[in-house]
Amino acid sequence: MSRRRQRVPWVSYLLVLSGAVLMVVPFLDMVMTSFKGPGESGKLPYRFLPKGFDFGNYAAALHQLDLPVLFRNSATATALITGSVLLTSSLAGYALAKLRFRGRDFIFRLVLATMMFPPFLFFIPHFLILVHWPLAGGNDVLGRGGAGLTVSVVALAMPFLVNGFGIFLMRQFMVSVPDEILEAARLDGAGEFTLWWRIVLPQTKPVLVTLALLTFVDAWNEYIWALLISTADPDVMTLPVGIQLLQDYVDPTRTMPVVMAALVLSILPVLVLFLLLQKHYIRGVMLSGLK
Amino acid sequence: MVNTLAPERAGHSASRARPPGPGPAARARRRQTVVAYLFLAPVLLFFAVFLALPLGFALLLSMSRWSGFDLGEIRPVGPANFTGLFARGSTFLAPVLTNTVLFALGTVVIALAGSVLVATCIDRLRFQGLWRTLYFLPMVTTVVAVGNVWKYMYEPGGLVNGVLNALGLGSVAFLQDPHTALPAVVVVQAWASAGSAILVLTAGLKSIPRSYYEAAELDGAGAVTVFRKITLPLLRPSLLFVCITQFLTGLQSFALITVMTKGGPGDATAVAALEMYRQAFSYGDWGTASAAAFVLFVVVLVITLVQLWVFRRSGEDA
Repeated sequence: MSRRRQRVPWVSYLLVLSGAVLMVVPFLDMVMTSFKGPGESGKLPYRFLPKGFDFGNYAAALHQLDLPVLFRNSATATALITGSVLLTSSLAGYALAKLRFRGRDFIFRLVLATMMFPPFLFFIPHFLILVHWPLAGGNDVLGRGGAGLTVSVVALAMPFLVNGFGIFLMRQFMVSVPDEILEAARLDGAGEFTLWWRIVLPQTKPVLVTLALLTFVDAWNEYIWALLISTADPDVMTLPVGIQLLQDYVDPTRTMPVVMAALVLSILPVLVLFLLLQKHYIRGVMLSGLK
Repeated sequence: MVNTLAPERAGHSASRARPPGPGPAARARRRQTVVAYLFLAPVLLFFAVFLALPLGFALLLSMSRWSGFDLGEIRPVGPANFTGLFARGSTFLAPVLTNTVLFALGTVVIALAGSVLVATCIDRLRFQGLWRTLYFLPMVTTVVAVGNVWKYMYEPGGLVNGVLNALGLGSVAFLQDPHTALPAVVVVQAWASAGSAILVLTAGLKSIPRSYYEAAELDGAGAVTVFRKITLPLLRPSLLFVCITQFLTGLQSFALITVMTKGGPGDATAVAALEMYRQAFSYGDWGTASAAAFVLFVVVLVITLVQLWVFRRSGEDA
């Protein structure tokens, strides 16, 4: 090993440490503010620490926000999206990696192409398609007359149910499953569905965890689309949308501590999951560099 | 990676050698085709309804006038929506599109400079995983949390002004002053996106052979020379990746701005994607909104291609 490795790199430590402080301080400020009383936040001079650790703001957040409903909506949408992405990606990935059929190359290129389109191009048409969804929410066969699917919690998940990157990821990893094992099982009379479920899925479990985690985090944190759907129907409001609404319409100096308390509660599930499974998550981010 | 991308031809040529006629092999193949399309059916159906149909619909809307209720009332108007965006008195080119580019450029410059610095330093330290995790926290946090915490920190009684006051400086109304609003939001976006950049760059640094550094040290090269002559050139692929992805996100994202300033004060932080969103869902001008979306798409595409071209020209690999 070189000499510069053995010396303690003080300058680097100082730099990385001050950067890390910059990263963490906003989160600490969020937690500290969530304990501040009504007369305490936003007052001059600024004080980092609260006078006492009172959980009143957390009670207020639960009360004012109907947090259980927001949690349920966020959880439902996230579960739908994560489940669907895992299922569709692993099914399609298996077909593209291990089955031979006409049109396979074309479909694989199509999947790659879907990753190139920016999401904002689809906001408007997706919303209109859901509004005019035939035979839903009071619509007729031609999609007229009602609010369509926009008044359902399914609408939160619809545009994210299939993910091009997910298919690509699963396909790349399933390619490396040895063909000999599959051929042997086929000779024993196993169907393709059995092969997928019994052989290929167990072998690609780590990638499935990674994909699940990436999808979960994105779905839980999604804001813009949920905002759009919640405007159409407040009953399907998600956590980020509900908290933002509270922030927007009530006196900010009074409600800021309550908003912070709600935010702490809302980011807690993802933060815990990330800290527990961060190896898988970070690998996912690295893999997304492959596309 | 390129190798695995190429479809495996070996299987095709092997199966082509089979005798003609519907033998058992042909039947097995036909069955595989049926199964394959069954496995792909949900995906193909989804792409038809949520990819092909929306693209066609958006293109139709961008060349129509429509108030947004009855599908039968879509009136074709040709390229009028596009020319309207660039007409005299339209705010689309300036300040909206200018803001978009400045927002993305500012984010990329700050996030890239910061993450190159931090990544090279982390590379020499112990507990690399811990450092990376800390820098990664904003990435897994919802934009509503990030936006509101920073908005609060920028307020007169917030942390940032508290630090300024403690240093004997006056308070700044960061988000209320049209001159500071955009830079203030840019800083937050860069703060939030530095984590993934650091991750990619650390991986890039790991792939540079240690022997290069040792050789440079034997030749008596200084730290700055080593960084310029070895680290930067060999880091180029990672830098290109970070640059392109951060630019893409910067040009498209408006969630943070929606949370922090809603495009204000005035038009100071209005960006193209937010403008598109408002044209459609606030003003009901779906035609203009769709046209704006396509213009932004083209801008994104051009900027990405320019970056690829610049990186290709400045070095053989990339």
